[in-house]
Amino acid sequence: MTIFVHPLKRISHPLKTKILSEDAQSAGNILLETGAMLMSSGASTHRTRLTLERIAHGLGYGVELLITQRALMLTIIEKDQQHFFSRLKRISPHGVNFRIVSGISHLSWNVLEDNWTIAQISDELKRLKSLPHYPRLVVLGLVGLAGAAFCRIFGGGYTEMAVAFIATVVGLFVRQETLRVKFNPYLCVFFAAFAASLIAGLAEHFQIDIDSDTAFATSVLFLVPGVPLINSVTDLMDGNIQNGIVRAMNGLMISFSIAMGLFAAKMILNF
Amino acid sequence: MILEILLQSFWAGIAAIGFAVLFNVPRRVIFSIWTLGALGGLIKFTAIQFESGIVFASFLGATVIGIVSIQMAHMRHSPPLVFSIPSVIPMVPGFFAYKMMLGLIALTSIENTDAYLQTLIETVNNGAKMTFVLIALGIGVALPMLITRKESIKKSPFNKRKKANVLS
Repeated sequence: MTIFVHPLKRISHPLKTKILSEDAQSAGNILLETGAMLMSSGASTHRTRLTLERIAHGLGYGVELLITQRALMLTIIEKDQQHFFSRLKRISPHGVNFRIVSGISHLSWNVLEDNWTIAQISDELKRLKSLPHYPRLVVLGLVGLAGAAFCRIFGGGYTEMAVAFIATVVGLFVRQETLRVKFNPYLCVFFAAFAASLIAGLAEHFQIDIDSDTAFATSVLFLVPGVPLINSVTDLMDGNIQNGIVRAMNGLMISFSIAMGLFAAKMILNF
Repeated sequence: MILEILLQSFWAGIAAIGFAVLFNVPRRVIFSIWTLGALGGLIKFTAIQFESGIVFASFLGATVIGIVSIQMAHMRHSPPLVFSIPSVIPMVPGFFAYKMMLGLIALTSIENTDAYLQTLIETVNNGAKMTFVLIALGIGVALPMLITRKESIKKSPFNKRKKANVLS
């Protein structure tokens, strides 16, 4: 025979007692770390939430999340509803890195299927963070080729493609250097767009090619904020309206910086 | 004309690879991204040839990229967005954005009413094209992921396959 206990009492009594064990606290910290890495590397809100819930499930906890663009809030709950642990973590923007997104996706399945421990997860996160980027020259060369490819798609000839290649390489170089000395990110985009369009415009100035409009327009396309804009649509359609709007605004500001860079270069060239 | 479409698709793939490297994708998926970018370009340029308009053509291309990227995700063990975002970027309407920007700048200084009207019409046209193509790209990529998500991750048959599952 069971004694009737008011449901509220049943929950509220044990909550008073104590906070979670050491183990659960480190689980919470690991989850926050994972979420912050995902958000700063360009995953959508839904994916971040799903991955964190999957990992928490694998470790045997329930989890409640508040995900915003710059901060992550998490409450981790033991299955018996006895203890909980809450913490807030700031997300620092690092730039898109799909190698981390892909790695964390693997990690979450390993936790669920192979019962990884917290120490293993922590080691894997460290490994993912230390994974190398592509060599700088390779990035410069391939993105330059992408600029030339854009020029070809929009109907440019070989001279325009060469101009777009050089302009893109210089623009990307400027962006990398300004990011390295930690300028405001929008300012970095502005400088890069300015440098790239100045090169493309100078080619026109010295009469190197005939139809330089194509080269001019395509030299800045490597700056296009594709990840913020596409993730924004994904988030909006998932119902994460707030994050979607934040991302869209971010994309618009980047586009505006590109436009300002173009505008500045045009002004100087027409002077 | 067919040769031209094929060439353009080839270059669209190259542009996709450039962005893939910029976003630091795993090395094993680079060729898949080239394929996807070229496929999307092929569909978009073909659709334009059949006079379906740039907005719808971009939507078609992006949707196909979205669908194929989910299959690729299973084959290559990476989340779908790793494939879809770099390969959809070559379709971004940069040229229209540029034209619109130039038009807006010109609007600040034109005195003549007729010339002003002409520039205004062109600017609004370019701006509308750019906005709608962007929206079409975003929805085209997001839609297949949203549809396939209905069979939830935990219940989907893929989940039983060991490690082979990386869908969303």
